[in-house]
Amino acid sequence: MTDPHRILLAAAVLGGMAVWLLLPRRKGGGIALGGALGAVSLGLTAAALPGLADWLAQSLFWLLGGMTVVSAAWAVTLRNPVYCAIWFGMSLLGVSGLFFFQGAQFLAVATVVVYAGAILVMFLFILMLASASGRARYDRVSLEGLLSAACAAFLVGVLSIAVTGSLHSPKLDSSSAGIPQAQRQQGVLAAEHTKQIGRQLFGRYLVAVEVAGTLLLAALVGAAVIVGHARGPLVGPRATDPETAGGPRHG
Amino acid sequence: MADGELELLNGYLVVGAILFGLGMVGFLSRRNMITVFLAAEIMLQGISLSLTAWGRYHNDFGGQMLALLMIAVAACEAAVALALVLMLYQRKGSLDLFLWQDLREESVPRHIDRELPEALPEEPPAWPRLTPAGLSPEIPPEQTGYRPHV
Repeated sequence: MTDPHRILLAAAVLGGMAVWLLLPRRKGGGIALGGALGAVSLGLTAAALPGLADWLAQSLFWLLGGMTVVSAAWAVTLRNPVYCAIWFGMSLLGVSGLFFFQGAQFLAVATVVVYAGAILVMFLFILMLASASGRARYDRVSLEGLLSAACAAFLVGVLSIAVTGSLHSPKLDSSSAGIPQAQRQQGVLAAEHTKQIGRQLFGRYLVAVEVAGTLLLAALVGAAVIVGHARGPLVGPRATDPETAGGPRHG
Repeated sequence: MADGELELLNGYLVVGAILFGLGMVGFLSRRNMITVFLAAEIMLQGISLSLTAWGRYHNDFGGQMLALLMIAVAACEAAVALALVLMLYQRKGSLDLFLWQDLREESVPRHIDRELPEALPEEPPAWPRLTPAGLSPEIPPEQTGYRPHV
């Protein structure tokens, strides 16, 4: 275990503690400490990763990646679900910027249009339709926060150490890492990016497109059927204690 | 590698892993159904970052194609899941996941993983603080403790 691996391990442990402190809990507090630990963890991760060649590209990557990760952390840990959805949108913008940075322009635009434009708005609609009045009790309590944060920290630590270790092992250099950059300029980094995407999408991956279209149609019909069946007795926002309510109500 | 492709791939994979881990924490520990689905979408984002990074590294469009298909599947999933969430909300009037932990067939005995935690103490409402206005009334000092008449 070399030095960057130790740093990555420490970053994963600190990040898990930060997320555990940031999760909603009964007693307030811990948010400032959690934020500080998370910042330290992000800094350690950035220090342990090997740097890019260009300082401009490096700082852009750190900016976009940090924005994505911090927004995702807020989206997971905030109490108010509307704020969760909005920070999720911010995280989506960061992911889209990372796609741009990588040369996947069509995917970046599709992410913004489909995710931030449609799916996120749908989440917000459902939140407005189904939001309990004010601050709901279940938003202020998390369930097994310590255990899940420890599992996630373990997973992230193992994954990042394995990736960083295996990518820089001397065995890899002879395989596909030796693709020359000029070949990439003709391939995934081609100037006519959308043309290439379309050619691939409707050529080699045509069956996948058809399957996705069928799936979208089935989901449309399914959602309509599910909502159409839900004509049971409508219950307003819950005023009583959840414990005193009975079993499932059959519509 | 002199052109930095390996370092780029490494960074993207680590950011994808962090996103996946954050989404996993949210999926496992939140109790609001909508927040749980948001966390699942965050996990999907982490995966699509990794996919496109591998696609660029191997000079193959497959990663981007798979990420595009993931967007389509995520749209389907969000539509069906939000319809289900809306239906569940109409049944119980709450988005709490704990209310559905005894979901079962009619012939199966009732089993509950854990009881609902006790009710949280209600926070006192935030009353507005009024600033005093006007003059304070002049009361004779012998009447401050006892007032002969009102």
